[in-house]
Formats: sequence, structure tokens, C-alpha cells
Amino acid sequence: MAVDELSVTFAALADPTRRAILARLAGGEATVNELAAPFAMSLQAVSKHLKVLERAGLIVRGRSAQLRPSRLHGAALGEAAGWLEEYREFWDESFDRLGEHLRELDEPPRNA
Amino acid sequence: MPDLEIDEPGAREIEITRIYDAPRELVWRAWTEPARLACWWGKRGWSTPLASVTMDVRPGGRFALMSVCDADGTLMPMDTVYREVVEPSLLSWGADDRVATVTFLDLGDGRTEMRFHAVVVVSDEAFANAPVGLASAFDRLGEQLASMDLP
Repeated sequence: MAVDELSVTFAALADPTRRAILARLAGGEATVNELAAPFAMSLQAVSKHLKVLERAGLIVRGRSAQLRPSRLHGAALGEAAGWLEEYREFWDESFDRLGEHLRELDEPPRNA
Repeated sequence: MPDLEIDEPGAREIEITRIYDAPRELVWRAWTEPARLACWWGKRGWSTPLASVTMDVRPGGRFALMSVCDADGTLMPMDTVYREVVEPSLLSWGADDRVATVTFLDLGDGRTEMRFHAVVVVSDEAFANAPVGLASAFDRLGEQLASMDLP
């Protein structure tokens, strides 16, 4: 996934309402009306959030003109999280190896 | 084993602190001498040939290398520049949108605390407002995703 796409994904995820919407969709697809229910928010505002999530590839929306149920699209979310995870793993393992390298330099033990 | 502590101030930042049972000068040299850095750089199962390493350790100097996956030969290049070099306590590199900094603290008893901090990926205004815990939001959502069949 290109950095620009990740940027869009992260920006979409930065909003707590949008994360709540995603969490709700993780339980199954829902219409705008259903999604708006738990939030003190107009249908229009919820639609706007859905548009951002859709653009980020985090959800897909049905074609049915009236209801357009939304559902989670896992790939983008997975790639965004996976990228960070990969990056952290890289350093974690490098630093393990650095520790081993430093221990090797230490042999034979100085104090034992 | 060195002490391990991982802290994520926000999803796009990574901070890792390690304490090594080695004097600060040695840790510094492990980061700044190609033959030493090539010994440890990269994930397990990856090698960094010494010949690929360019380290001009001064502000603006080039920091480049090529890691190779032992299993399938996949190449992972890095080519960046040093930003700050303060021997033996601070090293940073990267471009404006992606900077990594590592600091070395002499603990006075022969051990060294190394703190790595990186700002990852993107500069985006929205991210300035991202709450702490986005990473755990990822985790929770990831768990939920894993437990359901996606179309």
C-alpha cells in the first residue's frame, strides 16, 4: 500500500466517531439510519463520515439507492495496522540482535 | 536479556527503549561503524552485506544500505541522510516526513539506555488530533475482523 493511501487511511481513522462507526460495522452491515442511532448526529453528518471511510477504502457501500448499507472492508485497515506492526517488528528484532552483538563483544567476560 | 519497554505515544510514532549491559561508547560504535552495524541491522533472517553500507556520519551525510532476505533474496534498500550527530549521545536520520532518532544515556554502571523514537509514514493534520490509543483501536478492530468472515 502506498504511503499516500496509508495517509488517507490513517486520517480517516483519526476521528473517534469514525472509529466507533467501524466498530459498529465490525458487527455486521448497517444502514445510515442504523449507524446514526447511537450518535447524537444528523444523518447528513453520518453520511459525511461514511464518505471519508469509503474513500479510505475502509468500508464499502451497497448500491441500493435508498438504504446503501455500509459494511467493513478489512483490507485497508489490515494493511495500515500491518505496516506499523511490521515497522515496529523490524526495530524490535534489530535491537535484539544489537544486544547479541554487544554481548559477543563482551566475550570473554570481563568480570567472571 | 536487555530490559524491554515499548511505548506508543500515538499510532504514527514508535518509541522503543532498551537497556544494554554495555558501555555507551560501544553502543555508539555499533551504530556508527559499518562493520558493526552490518552485524545486527534488520529482522532475523535478513543480512546486510558490509559492501552495501555507506555511512557518512555527520549532518547531511548519506546513510544507505541494502538488506537481503536470507530465505528468498528479497532486497530492502535504505537510503537516507543523517540529520543530527552528537557523539556519543544522539543520532538522527531521515527526511522531514519520516525521522528517526536514537539517544544513548550512560547509566553510570557500565550499562546504556538506548531510546529509539520514530515518527512514521505521513504528515497529516488530522493526525495531530489523533488520540492516544489508536493503535489499540487497531488491535481491537483487528480482533473483531479476525473473528468474522469478510465478503
